[in-house]
Amino acid sequence: MRRIPLSNIVIKCVPVSQGISRGEALVTRQPICLYDSLDPKSGRIVNRRHDLYGKNVSGKILFFPRGIGSSTSAATILEAARCNKAPNAIVNLETEPIIAVGAILAEKLYRRNIPIVHRPETNPADLIKTHDLTEVNADLGLIELLKRSKARASHGMR
Amino acid sequence: MFLTREDEELLNGEHGEGAKIAMSVLVKLGEMYDADRMLNVENVHIDGSAYGWINDSGLELVEKFCSLGVRFRVPATLNPSSIDFDMWKELQMSSRVAEKQLRLANALKRMGATPTWTCAPYQYGADVRFGQNVAWGESNAVGFANTVVGARTERLGDLADVCSAIVGKYPYFGLYRDENRRGEMLFELRKQDLETFGPTDYGILGFFIGSVAEAKIPVVSGIPKNVTTDQLKSYCAAVAVGGSVGLSHLCGVTPEAETVAHACHGSIPEEKITIGTNQLEQTRQKLSTLKGDCPEVICLGCPHYSVQELTRLAQLLKGKKVKKDVRLVVLTSRAAKTLAVEMGAVKTIESSGGKVIADTCWNFVPFEGRTLMTDSVKMAWVSMSKFTEVGIGNMDRCVEAAVGIMR
Repeated sequence: MRRIPLSNIVIKCVPVSQGISRGEALVTRQPICLYDSLDPKSGRIVNRRHDLYGKNVSGKILFFPRGIGSSTSAATILEAARCNKAPNAIVNLETEPIIAVGAILAEKLYRRNIPIVHRPETNPADLIKTHDLTEVNADLGLIELLKRSKARASHGMR
Repeated sequence: MFLTREDEELLNGEHGEGAKIAMSVLVKLGEMYDADRMLNVENVHIDGSAYGWINDSGLELVEKFCSLGVRFRVPATLNPSSIDFDMWKELQMSSRVAEKQLRLANALKRMGATPTWTCAPYQYGADVRFGQNVAWGESNAVGFANTVVGARTERLGDLADVCSAIVGKYPYFGLYRDENRRGEMLFELRKQDLETFGPTDYGILGFFIGSVAEAKIPVVSGIPKNVTTDQLKSYCAAVAVGGSVGLSHLCGVTPEAETVAHACHGSIPEEKITIGTNQLEQTRQKLSTLKGDCPEVICLGCPHYSVQELTRLAQLLKGKKVKKDVRLVVLTSRAAKTLAVEMGAVKTIESSGGKVIADTCWNFVPFEGRTLMTDSVKMAWVSMSKFTEVGIGNMDRCVEAAVGIMR
């Protein structure tokens, strides 16, 4: 695979669900209940009180600190996988088993691999921002920032 | 992970293809969470019971298990369905959803599930006792089993519960383990504040504690011994949506928490927070966006109302009429409704203009209005995407709003 210039930001973490995936980052510091926040048929965040409201998780590397609330979130991830609207990978500070179950079933039923990592050595939300091109390697337990988004570079945002 | 001979047999398909799939999901989950072995569970509460929650993918999986000839190895109760099985047409619930829900219900029942269709299985339908390992989904039920009964369950994700019922097992990690049940954060309350508390106040208390504790295990001192099951139900529902709390140690109530020291396994809690009425009032205000006293919808029964709650509601409504422009809806289990019908409570509620709906959740009730009042903190918090304005009031307050008594 051709490498995009490295940014030298690599964060070690603990794999939950294996696989390697890359995509644009979608980052929040707010815990989320996927059941009442994610519409699995479109991939959109529909919870008006969440700071990702209106964003689409489909194909993204989704960063959120942890899941909260409903046990139904497992089925929500599975349905998003069936509809091809699941995120490409999930990064948490702590991954709930409820989220992990969704990924296990997505792989078993629809052969949709959703790598998941958690317990990063530093909080990725401090280093990686929404739109940055990111790779999650859940086989090795690494999150890598591949390329900062243009918007961020031109504004000198860090 | 250590697997017994029986575990290996299940995993190798010697007990059928369905058990093989279910076991492989649970073993994989156990590996992810460093479980050292599988645990036998004595019963399961299946949250993946509503088509509206598990969608086509979930229905596909459950029907697949059923077609493989699976029978549940342990007793399994069911969370609410997407429809009231008796009244779905009258309630104008979608026939497309009803058709799929009926398919799901048939498959679950053929596999041996008890059709409780309730989010409060601990009140009607589930046998659960202190020290028992069980595998429950539905966050309020998980909280109640751990906190009030002192049974042990992790917070199961949908469909992992179905897998668990198939093999009667769950990986040994999280809240099944002694060391993960240690209380971490102490919340102190003044007893006199709590004496006047009703279920809704317990919900506000739970929400506040959940939002502070997040994923930590709270220890709460000051809860009176005579706290009711319905008050604890409201607490457990709210603490689980305020944070991800699946176990609270309510000193003097929770069997494994006679004292703070007992709850904290002899250590000192990492943090101590004193709760006063002002914090709870702020929480109530944060959760209430309703302007004025005239909501279009009043919804009670999240979690499902008990017989006691239904009869109390009937007393409050007796001889009064719900205003024409207000819809009063009460959700309950089929078991509680059947008893309340026999006691005359349902007739009283319905002759006042209220509607008692069984088997399902407010999530699936087609509401006409956009403004809500409820006595449930859980519903107030979770339903904000359905309503433009949401207010919280206890049962008395909700009845006053329904019949048009202004304060």
